[in-house]
Amino acid sequence: MSSLASIGSVTAASTPLVSSLRPEMRAPLAGAATPGAPGAGFGEMLDGLVSNVVTKQTEANDITRRVLLGETDQLHQSVIAMQEASVAFGLMVEVRNKLVESYQELMRMQV
Amino acid sequence: MQLISGIEVTTGALTAQKMRLDIVAQNIANAQTTRTAAGGPYQRKIVSFESELLQRAGLPALPSVRVGGITNDTAPGQKVFNPQHPDAGPDGLVQMPNVNLAYEMVDLITASRAYEANLSVMKSARNLAQRTLQIGK
Repeated sequence: MSSLASIGSVTAASTPLVSSLRPEMRAPLAGAATPGAPGAGFGEMLDGLVSNVVTKQTEANDITRRVLLGETDQLHQSVIAMQEASVAFGLMVEVRNKLVESYQELMRMQV
Repeated sequence: MQLISGIEVTTGALTAQKMRLDIVAQNIANAQTTRTAAGGPYQRKIVSFESELLQRAGLPALPSVRVGGITNDTAPGQKVFNPQHPDAGPDGLVQMPNVNLAYEMVDLITASRAYEANLSVMKSARNLAQRTLQIGK
């Protein structure tokens, strides 16, 4: 059931991502998925995915702020960073949707 | 994590082409400048590109592009007879910059088309990534 526990962490994490970045989510990924311990490895991989998305969004925020403040005129870098963050966020949401879907599928199972 | 393939290479190319556009703008703006800080008329600037290897963790390096250098075109400009001009020599001739507007317009079009081409690459790479996420829907 460890995969269900990780559903909670991803769903909880994805909601505040858009508005604010919680400090505890900025922790860098220590080690990605380690083969051998399937449950823990997948959980860590999800943690890594979330912190990756956060990093990309922070980068995009930073460069967009610098463009708006006139510190740089590299407009394309700002747009590219935003697109990258958006694709990463989309991937994260997709993974979460898939997990929730499989959880609901299990809950619908006739016993 | 690289989600959009080749995005870093294209970023480098966009930066380089943007610099080229900036230099064309400089050349056109200074097409009539007969006095510069270095003395003499403005000299046309030429941008050259060089390849740049992007290191990636655990993957082979990718060749991107960056501006290698900005050099002056040292060819002499044309001399115009205009004795009233403050920069005219004793013979009444003014040394004009060696900027040829036709060349600059061609450069401008080439640079903006190259920029657009790189934008198309980026757009298509992003579309691919987003369409890939739609698998199974």
